[in-house]
Amino acid sequence: MNKSKSLVRLLQLASPMLPVGAYSYSQGLEWGIESGEVHDLASAQAWIGDVLQVYQGSFELPVLSRFYRAWQRGDGEALNEWNAFYLAGRDNAEALAESRQMGYSLKRLLLEFDDLPDAWTVMMEALPTASFPALYAGISQAWDIEEQDALQAYAWSWLENQASAAMKAVPLGQVAGQKILLGVADRIPALVEEAMRMPDFMISNFCPALTIAGCRHETQYSRLFRS
Amino acid sequence: MDDVESSTMTRLDKRWFASLALDFSLRQDRTTLVGKRHKGPLVVQKMLYPEGDEVCHGIIIHPPGGVAGGDQLLLQTSLEQGAHALLTTPGAGKWYKANGQAASQQLKFDLEPSASLEWLPQENILFDGSSVGFSAEIALQGNAVFCGWDILCFGRQARGETWTEGELQQGLSIRRDQRLIWNERMFLHPESRVLKSVAGLRGFPVSASLVVAAGAMPADVLEACRMVEADQGAQYGVTALPEIFSARYIGNSSEAAKQYFERLWQLLRPWYAGRAAVRPRIWNT
Repeated sequence: MNKSKSLVRLLQLASPMLPVGAYSYSQGLEWGIESGEVHDLASAQAWIGDVLQVYQGSFELPVLSRFYRAWQRGDGEALNEWNAFYLAGRDNAEALAESRQMGYSLKRLLLEFDDLPDAWTVMMEALPTASFPALYAGISQAWDIEEQDALQAYAWSWLENQASAAMKAVPLGQVAGQKILLGVADRIPALVEEAMRMPDFMISNFCPALTIAGCRHETQYSRLFRS
Repeated sequence: MDDVESSTMTRLDKRWFASLALDFSLRQDRTTLVGKRHKGPLVVQKMLYPEGDEVCHGIIIHPPGGVAGGDQLLLQTSLEQGAHALLTTPGAGKWYKANGQAASQQLKFDLEPSASLEWLPQENILFDGSSVGFSAEIALQGNAVFCGWDILCFGRQARGETWTEGELQQGLSIRRDQRLIWNERMFLHPESRVLKSVAGLRGFPVSASLVVAAGAMPADVLEACRMVEADQGAQYGVTALPEIFSARYIGNSSEAAKQYFERLWQLLRPWYAGRAAVRPRIWNT
């Protein structure tokens, strides 16, 4: 696939139109707002920036990189192992349900595409419960999107979704939403590079206040989001 | 009983390697310690039966009292079908300044079907300058049950000490019939953003985690656990995943973390073990 074709595929994958239901999850941010931690542009930017750096940068992105390389090698065993590592590392009920639901929706979508190689579909079907990032890496690799670009797009989509959740729930205006993107997105390229170089022992899902926010969100009285 | 101590203490280059392996078996409805092997300074006291024959309480002791840089501790435990053991420690684990070498603690627990293990140690205190690797690998078969907690304190609070130098690595994995069902990973050093971050440890000195692997939890038990409160100023929460119950605490006091977990334990034990929580007397001292 030539470069401009892989670019349009990348934009398709990164678009909020991708029907996986990402917009219904705030990933603890809604609890951050309920508890008063997040209440304006500056505090929203601080929370989102920290989650990007601490959780996404130390867990999701390095694991996404391993998924990508497993797909690249056609290594179904490694893909299964990292998929189990990721799902067992989703440490609260809503976070796990989210990864499974988005994975399930992406899988259903991908099964509708008829240009994917058979070997690729076999690897996908061999995953007992496909997590969202495992399939995201897979389709990126199948569409000839470079690993670094796939990771950047994944982090970008996550950030865009967080900014959108903050706009709805704080609430914040359109300009504030754009400022969150401007303020936080610049950190993505360096985090992606670190994630691609990170040795296994440095991968960390330790982000306790985020985990506790997930726990507390389960019983939040009034909520717009499923996590 | 198979009780072997190696004649040569394993002291290499001023580093201690200490290991203890315990095997429990159910003999005539009594959980019995049937095998014990140790090397170096890691031992278990006489087994206690404060709640009858079925549950055996063991107190794990590391006589040097603290762990120096380069020291390695290994605790292995196996439980045969139906055995139920509760293991605890008499005092806080103290992790000294590393002097260039990391210390480690490795736990390996293997449980046959219908066995239960409770690992309820006192807190681990990371002295300033300590570098530690903690790893726990728990392998469950069939319907085996594990309940464990881990309380970590950054710096000696009584002295107002903080952890300004060192490195910490921690891993907890729980497998049921070889399938990974729980995975906690931590890698950090004193400059790590997560220590101060609003989404991370928020500058608190204490981080604690409790986990129960006993299948799906009934809604009423979860509801009761949600009502339990910890000390003011702390942040904490509970969650029930399809195969795991987990509670987290971050705050200022390892004592308060223990109290919070103990209150949860009183609600959890009737569910996962079918018996009331019986407080090990050593916790009073």
